[in-house]
Amino acid sequence: MIKFEDVSYNHPDGTNALNDINLEIPENSITAIVGNNGAGKTTLVKHINGLLKPTTGTVSIKNNNTKESSVAELSRDVGMVFQNANHQLFADTVENEILFGLNNFGFSEEFIKERYEFVIELFNLRKYENISPLKLSGGEKKRVCLASVLAWNPGILILDEPTVGQDELQKTVLLEFIDQLNKNNKTVIVISHDIEFLWRLQPNIVTMSEGRIIQIGSPEKIFRNKELMEKVGIVPPQIIKIFEGIGIKDKTPLSLEDSCKVIRELRNH
Amino acid sequence: MQFIANGFIYRKSNSIIHRLDPRIKLLISIQLFTLALLVSDLYNLLVIFTAITIFSLLGRITQRLLRTMIFATGFSALILIINYFAGYSLIYSIQIALRFISIVCSTSLFFLVTSPDELEYVLRWFRLPRDLVFAFVTSVRFVPVILMDTLQIMDAQKSRGLELEKGNPIKRIKKFVPILVPLIINEVIRSGELAEAMESRGYGISKNPTSLYSLKLSNFDIIVMISTIIAFTSIILLVY
Amino acid sequence: MSVKDLIRFDNFSFKYNSRNDKVLEDINLNIKKNEITVLAGPTGCGKSTLLRAIVGLIPNMYEGEYTGEVTVDGIRIRDAEIKEIAKRVGFVFQNPENQIFMFSVERDIAFGLENLSLEQEIIKNRIEETMKTLNITHLAKKAPHELSDGQKQRTALAGVLAMEPKILILDEPTSLLDPKTATEFMELMNKLCKEREMSIIIVEHRLDLVLKYADRLIVLSNGKVISNDTPENVFDYKKEVIPELSVPFSTKLYRELAKNSMKFSKPVTGVEEMIKEVKK
Repeated sequence: MIKFEDVSYNHPDGTNALNDINLEIPENSITAIVGNNGAGKTTLVKHINGLLKPTTGTVSIKNNNTKESSVAELSRDVGMVFQNANHQLFADTVENEILFGLNNFGFSEEFIKERYEFVIELFNLRKYENISPLKLSGGEKKRVCLASVLAWNPGILILDEPTVGQDELQKTVLLEFIDQLNKNNKTVIVISHDIEFLWRLQPNIVTMSEGRIIQIGSPEKIFRNKELMEKVGIVPPQIIKIFEGIGIKDKTPLSLEDSCKVIRELRNH
Repeated sequence: MQFIANGFIYRKSNSIIHRLDPRIKLLISIQLFTLALLVSDLYNLLVIFTAITIFSLLGRITQRLLRTMIFATGFSALILIINYFAGYSLIYSIQIALRFISIVCSTSLFFLVTSPDELEYVLRWFRLPRDLVFAFVTSVRFVPVILMDTLQIMDAQKSRGLELEKGNPIKRIKKFVPILVPLIINEVIRSGELAEAMESRGYGISKNPTSLYSLKLSNFDIIVMISTIIAFTSIILLVY
Repeated sequence: MSVKDLIRFDNFSFKYNSRNDKVLEDINLNIKKNEITVLAGPTGCGKSTLLRAIVGLIPNMYEGEYTGEVTVDGIRIRDAEIKEIAKRVGFVFQNPENQIFMFSVERDIAFGLENLSLEQEIIKNRIEETMKTLNITHLAKKAPHELSDGQKQRTALAGVLAMEPKILILDEPTSLLDPKTATEFMELMNKLCKEREMSIIIVEHRLDLVLKYADRLIVLSNGKVISNDTPENVFDYKKEVIPELSVPFSTKLYRELAKNSMKFSKPVTGVEEMIKEVKK
């Protein structure tokens, strides 16, 4: 479990970035963090793998205070994939890019080999093994980044804006992938502006504004609260607007198929 | 992001010195610099020193100038000691040290009160080639951006288990490869995008581009200019 | 050529010298005055190349095999002077950071105007007017690093808008913005298009936010134009849609329902229309 207790964070120059954060993220859950630009979402998640340490309060992972561990130690269990793939790709081949983390953590040769084979198949990267990751397209680069982090099998995975620049097919793959991780007892945390994607993902949503957590809840609960959305700079997904517009005030259908069913029934009456 | 750029030398202010025409600021700085080079007696050095202090007080930059001064003092203490042990008199050694501080501070004074924007106007006023001026502008403009990139890349690699704090020096240098490579690639991509954006906004289509503001001396500027020139020449005349 | 055509591609193909295959092949397109056009397609479909061809970065900055013609506001891009193109077409790139060159917002807006050698008075007026339109007057003296993402976006737009282009091109303008800011940005574009009689071309993945404002949707795939029509016609349920396209939910719902024999008066591309159709 990830636990934030009365956490606040100030930048080195004294400006305040996080305030009064109390948050529990249970194991094996999917959590999304949403909020306007500059709300402190990235600052928040950087506390989970120790890139930032709270100014006051404590952050603990499985009851271990992050202040007592280095980023490298924490990262073994917390994988973080950043928004910009170009900020991490550096190796001469995709193979070496993926091996980078595995080697840094000093795993056994056997484990490294096994994990490498696993992710290279999972992300369909076999044909690029010996190519420079820099030569790949944007979507492929993102896949390499994911593979390179997932390689060491962290229990917690943090994705910062994973859908930016991704087309519909890639988004669907990502969605299935997050589901798969969740089924394998992983904790997934996503920062995203992509409301339509979040509706399909159906995570626990944490809304933030000006360095504070405003509300936590299900997509249905969050996206129906107009005042809240205004405050945190989001708009509801189209599915919510449509069903609200035709008079269905709760239990919005989750999928396209269900939506069709509901509308057809409505018409038959 | 602001906290990084804030550590940058120039800071916005509305002080009487900040509001001077940048050419006047440059003139003052050059005069102080030249005096520091030319005069050698303790008395005159103290005059220069006082002048620098007055300017920095008026410009409300004493605190930051003090930092430069402390740095320079450390350095000049070294000069003093070396000189003293080399057999020069104490007074002479103090003079040399004081001179060094004055030279450093007079230069630093200019950069503390002149925005990069004003600096660009001065460069243009000197009729330097536009490409050169623009190269200067963009390199200063992108310092904070590149700094941010570096921090983000370091975060990304640390999150992949890169240990930057430990290990022997040779191993550490090797560890900078995963940071330097993405940084260079990012900046190459950035410069390409920059070039496209410049081109599409018509950079280089005119040999004589106009300018939003032109430098104009106010009455106050002229008064400052004349009085500093008088002070400067009288000191020179007194010394020689 | 019809008078209303502001941009025309006639049998245009392009191959970069650095690559082996054609990025765009046999493009025929016309974009009309005072319209908002949305350009969509999977990564690598040739969108960026198409935009570069309109603003003259192809062939001025990128060399390659150029066949066919691109005409913008009556001038042939291939042999037009950059100055002539820069006056007509404004390009707002994806990353606002990389198109703000100067140390203050107003100086940056002046950049293009100074290049056009306009007089100081005119520059000042244009800056003032542009800042007012975009609601950034209070930012005039701010340095780029003091701006939020949304403000940077507006500053980048202001620098281009001040040059009073007839055509405004925006490359994924909302990808970095939160949904609320993105929606406000699109409202602004819509207003500008109507008020200034400008043609706007927007490249965008997130169709759910932009489709509402689009007069026309162009879909590119593998270097070819596969659709070029009103959004309604592109998404008519009888037509195929490539799976890479992020179709808005209301449209997906319409297509699914219509395929299963629910009657619609016309194809649905927005939330309000969907509600109307169901309530009918």
